[in-house]
Amino acid sequence: MLSIKKLKVSIENNLILKGLNLDINQGEVHAIMGPNGSGKSTLASVIAGNENYKVESGSISFYGKNINDFSPDERAMMGIFLAFQYPVEIPGVSTINFIKTALNRIREFNKKKPLDAVNFLKTMKKKMNLVKIDRDLLSRSINEGFSGGEKKRNEIFQMAMLEPKLSILDETDSGLDIDALKIVSNGVNKLRTKDNSTIVVTHYQRLLDYIVPDYVHVLIDGKIVKSGSKNLAIELENKGYDWL
Amino acid sequence: MFKSGSLIFDDKKIKDFINKESNPFLKKSRNNFLKKLGEKKFNIKEEYKYTPLKQSIEKNFNLRFEIEKSISSTTEKKILSHIINDNNVYQIITLDGKIIKKFSNIPSKISFKNFDELDKKEKSLLHNHFGENDDSDDDIFSALNGVLWSKGLFVYIKKNQVIDRPIIVNNFYTSEKNIFSSQLRKFIFMEKNSKLSICEFDYSLISNNFNSNVTEIILEERSELDYFKIQNDSNNSTSFNSTNIKQKKNSISNTFTFSFSGDIIRNNLNISLIDENCYCNMYGIYALNNKSHVDNHTSVDHIQKNSISNEHYKGIMNGHSNGVFNGKIFVRKEAQKTNAFQSNNNIILSDDAKINTKPQLEIWADDVKCSHGCTTGQLDEKAIFYLQSRGINKDKAVSILINAFFDEIIQKINQNIVKDKINEILSTKIESYLNER
Repeated sequence: MLSIKKLKVSIENNLILKGLNLDINQGEVHAIMGPNGSGKSTLASVIAGNENYKVESGSISFYGKNINDFSPDERAMMGIFLAFQYPVEIPGVSTINFIKTALNRIREFNKKKPLDAVNFLKTMKKKMNLVKIDRDLLSRSINEGFSGGEKKRNEIFQMAMLEPKLSILDETDSGLDIDALKIVSNGVNKLRTKDNSTIVVTHYQRLLDYIVPDYVHVLIDGKIVKSGSKNLAIELENKGYDWL
Repeated sequence: MFKSGSLIFDDKKIKDFINKESNPFLKKSRNNFLKKLGEKKFNIKEEYKYTPLKQSIEKNFNLRFEIEKSISSTTEKKILSHIINDNNVYQIITLDGKIIKKFSNIPSKISFKNFDELDKKEKSLLHNHFGENDDSDDDIFSALNGVLWSKGLFVYIKKNQVIDRPIIVNNFYTSEKNIFSSQLRKFIFMEKNSKLSICEFDYSLISNNFNSNVTEIILEERSELDYFKIQNDSNNSTSFNSTNIKQKKNSISNTFTFSFSGDIIRNNLNISLIDENCYCNMYGIYALNNKSHVDNHTSVDHIQKNSISNEHYKGIMNGHSNGVFNGKIFVRKEAQKTNAFQSNNNIILSDDAKINTKPQLEIWADDVKCSHGCTTGQLDEKAIFYLQSRGINKDKAVSILINAFFDEIIQKINQNIVKDKINEILSTKIESYLNER
C-alpha cells in the first residue's frame, strides 16, 4: 500500500529524514518510535503532503503511484489521513460543515454520490458514538476552545467519517489522560479492517498496549535503525534508545 | 483665488454659488463653513497621514464649477440595473443627491425628502440642528462639503414609529473630474422610540468621479438606528464620507461600513454619546485588491456614564491595496462605568498590500472598562494544510478561511437582505483573490 524508498527530506535547509525506507501492506499496523527530534513527525507530515517540507530525493508511493508531487488534498482523496499532533483551531468554520465538505469531496473522487443531509447525520451519529464525542462540540468552530482530549477525539472522529485507507496517528497519545487514551484507542481499534492500515507515531509504549502494532520501527536521526515486533516497543520502554 | 491648505478655488465663483442659496439660514451656514475653510486649522498632515486624498484631488479633479447635464436614457438604464427587486424592502434612488421619485418607494410613516421640499415644521427642525454635529472643525473635506453641498437629503421619523423593512438607498453620481457636483449633505433625525434601518449603496456612473457625503444623525431617547454603507463601486470613484451620530439616553446605533472597491475612500465615523445608557456598535469590513485605498477613521466620545461602545473592523488586502484604520475612543471625566471595546484585525495576502492601523484612547474617567487590540497577519498556513489534509483543495481552503475571518462581523448583520448582498459581493471578491494568486 505505502512504499517509501530512500527518502531524504529537509526543512529550511536542515536535512531531517536521511534516506528512510518503509513498506506497509494492507491491514497492518506499524508503530514508529524514536527520541525527540528524530524525524517522526516530519515523516507523518511528509506522507500527508505538507508543503513546508522539501523532498530532496527518494520516493513515496501509494498503491504503486509515486505521490511525491501530489498536494495534501489529492493524497487525502486517495485515502491518506493524518491525525494531527496539534490539531489547528479554525474559528468561524463549523466542524460539521467542514467534515461534510471534506467527506463529499472524497466521495466525489471515488465516484460516489454525495451524502444527503439525512444520511450524513445518520453516519455522523454512528461515528460520534465510536469516540464518544458530543454533538454540541461538533456544532462549534473547528477545535475552537476544545480541550486537548476533545481535539484528539475530534481527529479520530474525522478519521471515522472519512474512512481512510492509511491513517497516520501523530502522537495521538500526547496530552491524553488514561481514560481519554482508552476512548481514542478503542475508536481506532474499531475502525481497523483487513483493508486499511495505520501508522502510529509515538514516544511511549503505553499507547501500544491499546493499539497493538504488527511491526515496530525505531527512527533515530532520520533513519529507521531497527524494526521488530511489538516486543521491541517493550524493550525500548525498559532500555531507552541509547543501546541502539 | 481662495486658498485652503493648498486646494485652490475660484473665490468669486464660490461666493456667487453661496449667494444663489435662497434659504437665508443655509446661506449663513454655508458662509460659516467657508469661514472654517479660510481659518485653515486642519491638521491634514496627521489626519491624512496615510491617505493622499487631497493630493489626488488636486491632481485629478477640476476645481471649478460645471453645469450638470440632465438624466439621459442610458443613465436611466444603468440606474435600473442596480434596483433590487424585493418586496421586503423600501427603495430610494438618488442621482447626485436628488431623489428620483419615479424609481423610489418611500415608506409613508417617515419623511424622506430633499432639503428644498421641506414643510415649515421640517425646516425648523433642520435649522435647529443643521451643522452642529459634523466634523468640519477638524476635517477640511467636511468643511468643504458644508460650503459646496449641492443637494440635501432629509430623513425624519416621528416618535414611536417603527419601520419594519429596511430602506435601501442607492446613490448614483454622474459628475466626471469635478469635485463640486457630487457633494451631498444628509440629515437624519429620529424621535423617541423610533426604529429604522437604512442601507446605502454608492455608485458612480462614470469614471473619475469624486463624491462627498456628510451626514448628521441625531438619535433621541430610546431610538434605534441600523446604518449600513456599502462601497463596491466598479468605476473606482474617489469618495469622502463623514457620518456623525449624536445619541441621547438609551438610544442604540449599529453602523456597518463595507468597502470592497474604489480608488481612494475615506470614511469618517464619529459617534458622540452625550447621555447615559447609550449603546453603539461600529462594525466594518474592507476586502480590497488592485490599487484600492480605504481609510476608516472612527471616533467614539463617551460623555456621560454607563454607555457601551463596541467596535470591530476586519480587513483583507491583496494586490497593491492599502488599508488604514484609526480608532479613537474618548472617555470624559463624567463618563464613569463606561464599557468601550475596540478591535481591528487584518490579513495581508500579497507582498505589496499594506495596512496602517492605529488605536487611540484618551480616558479621563477612572472607573471604566476599555480594551483595544489590533492584529495583522497572513492566512494561517497551518489551517490551510489542515483543511487540505481532509481532501479540501487549496482554493477552497483559502475561501473557507476568508469567509471564516469575516464571519463574526457578518453574523452581526441583522437584515437578511443586506447579509445576502454582502455574502454575494464577498464571494466575487474571494474569486478574484484566488485568480490573482
